[in-house]
Amino acid sequence: MSTAVQLALGVGVPDPHRSDGPTVVSLAAARTIAAVAEQVGLAAIRLVDGGPSGRTLDPTVVAGYLAGVHGGVGYVTEIPTTRHAPYNVARRVLSLDRATAGRVGIALQAGQGDEVSAVTAPVPDATDPTRRWTEYARVLTRLWESFPQSALIGDQQAGVVVDTARVTPINHEGVFYRVAGPLDGPSSRQGRPVIVADLGALDATAVAESVDVVVVDRSSAADADATVTEALGRVGRSRHDVALLGRADLAGYTPATAGTYGDELRDWAAEHRLDGVELVAKGGSDAIVTALRTVVPRLTDPASTPATLRAALGLSEVAAVLA
Amino acid sequence: MSRQLHLNVNILNAGVFGGSWRFPGTDATASYTIAHYTSIAKKAEQAKLDAVFLADGPALDPSIAHRTGNNLEPSTVLARIAAQTERIGLIATLSSSYNDPVEVARRLGDLDHVSGGRFGWNVVTTAGSVAARNFGRASEPEHAQRYRRAAEFATHVVASWAARTDLVSPQGRPVVVQAGGSRDGRRLAAQVGEVIFSADQDLAHARAFRAEIRAGAAEFGRRPEEVVILPGISTVVGSTEAEARARRALLDDLLPDAYARARLAGQLGFSLDGLSDDEPIPAELLVEPDAAGGSQTFFRIVKTIIDTENPTLGQLLKKLSGGAGHRIVVGTPEQIADDIETWFRAGAADGFNVMPDVLPSGFDDFADHVVPELQRRGLFRTEYDGRTLREHLGLPLPSAHLEVTAS
Repeated sequence: MSTAVQLALGVGVPDPHRSDGPTVVSLAAARTIAAVAEQVGLAAIRLVDGGPSGRTLDPTVVAGYLAGVHGGVGYVTEIPTTRHAPYNVARRVLSLDRATAGRVGIALQAGQGDEVSAVTAPVPDATDPTRRWTEYARVLTRLWESFPQSALIGDQQAGVVVDTARVTPINHEGVFYRVAGPLDGPSSRQGRPVIVADLGALDATAVAESVDVVVVDRSSAADADATVTEALGRVGRSRHDVALLGRADLAGYTPATAGTYGDELRDWAAEHRLDGVELVAKGGSDAIVTALRTVVPRLTDPASTPATLRAALGLSEVAAVLA
Repeated sequence: MSRQLHLNVNILNAGVFGGSWRFPGTDATASYTIAHYTSIAKKAEQAKLDAVFLADGPALDPSIAHRTGNNLEPSTVLARIAAQTERIGLIATLSSSYNDPVEVARRLGDLDHVSGGRFGWNVVTTAGSVAARNFGRASEPEHAQRYRRAAEFATHVVASWAARTDLVSPQGRPVVVQAGGSRDGRRLAAQVGEVIFSADQDLAHARAFRAEIRAGAAEFGRRPEEVVILPGISTVVGSTEAEARARRALLDDLLPDAYARARLAGQLGFSLDGLSDDEPIPAELLVEPDAAGGSQTFFRIVKTIIDTENPTLGQLLKKLSGGAGHRIVVGTPEQIADDIETWFRAGAADGFNVMPDVLPSGFDDFADHVVPELQRRGLFRTEYDGRTLREHLGLPLPSAHLEVTAS
């Protein structure tokens, strides 16, 4: 069985004195890494926002830019709820997803609110980041489905662009947000962008309803499958609806042992019923390139060319899930 | 070298005319694909234009049943265009009412860096309750309040760019673009705008507008020549005048009537239901522009046409042709170049924000025939001199520290 691989990487200005977070590389180095990622069959590059190892560029800007050059790999953009109204994030991420023909996801980070939404928050003093995350993710998924691709008709004879009967507002009214919708553009080739959640920062119950990919730290990997399965079951979803990735550093080996490291990761994934791994970039860009070339082929088949990020992660497309 | 024109292309989905997406030979839904935008940007770069421009509002346009709408978020589109081009400037519209200034400052400053100093931010306040409802509001904030926030927002964003020490771009910071023609909008333009998009049907009015903005900039302690004023111009190009007129007539025929009425009702802020195409709009329905709550610029333009020409509703709809109220110029490449040259030499414009009738075909005609004519006349560059948007526009590098002027 193929194991999906995602690389976590920051793009911006490295801090030469720090190396405790994911590596931050320059935009030029990121282009090189994205080219290699495309060749070796990486599912996605997760573009880290912030972190201790340097100042990062906005992940949606980087994703838009890199996908314009290397469109054969997926891009997962880290975006916090803080300072971002959900309608704006839904639009931006879906725009990226449509531009890449369905290769984009969001790693939504739990946080605080934004000043625009705060003015009209249904419960003004609500602050719990986890509850906010749950509501935010629900708003995203509903907005992404508010304008189905099939509603875009473009009938020149009849003078009809969109069948508006199939475009529906979401009229969301929750604790943190009030969002009418619908979105301004149609759904993407993969149905909707992928939502990624980090277990630990968030609990499985909080993310169960909307998540597509759960990432778990190496130390918690042993229990993750059972925890996630149970949480999904409680909301009527199957474990097959979600890809579970174990997080591991892309470091701690020599070129000679890199292949062995890849084998170890594959066995580790199989042992804990992980669907893939998130490799956290460590070291310089040359080391990352070398590691991708040696480690990834042990995990994933470079000859397989999935059409979308969902397919690369072994997930069904949303339309199929909804049918 | 003599003063040179500045030209942007406004990639307004399928084109500025309401019937553009139905024009023969046009792919009806091409404007819902990213390739539509990247290929027009590449063409604009070949034609040595200053920039591509993307209008935007965070909402689904209610007229979507009958005409294409803007449907891709501009900062993501321009990041992709930045990766696939070298020189062309990149201008995106982002709302000051519905964004967080810290977030926008970071994202747009980063886009400027990633593009090598080619980015410009068009600050808009976003009229309309449709957008408001996507951010929890029942209706838009009141006009003056929107502009107060816009001024504070823009000042904050520019100050944040000025304070950057890393990930800075070769042009120092993004160019600030402003488009409001209302009293509040003109004040904001004079205060922070480096490029002003205006909408004017009349040369004398446009010349007065330009003079007012330049004088206003001076009052804020700025140099008037550091403000570039670009009226919108909708172009319908034909190889003969008759061909151009036929193209315009066909576009009028293709305009879905339901759309034209809905669009005008939105611009005027009242319903047109029950009004006959054969009679003028009753005068009592028309308030003074400064009292209009939505886009005062377009209200003023439409009201001026009504006041001066007293058209029937049907004639008015045809004149506007579902466009945004910008001036429509129909003719051969030479005639369109004549018009552009006249406005430019009269001091009514520093250049134009070109809104082709149909995209991509109308822009191809403009780039292939009107631009070379302007180049022959020595009015427009034949090669880029610089690499950044500021260099294209002839704007100086901003000083490292923001000079905050009291308003």
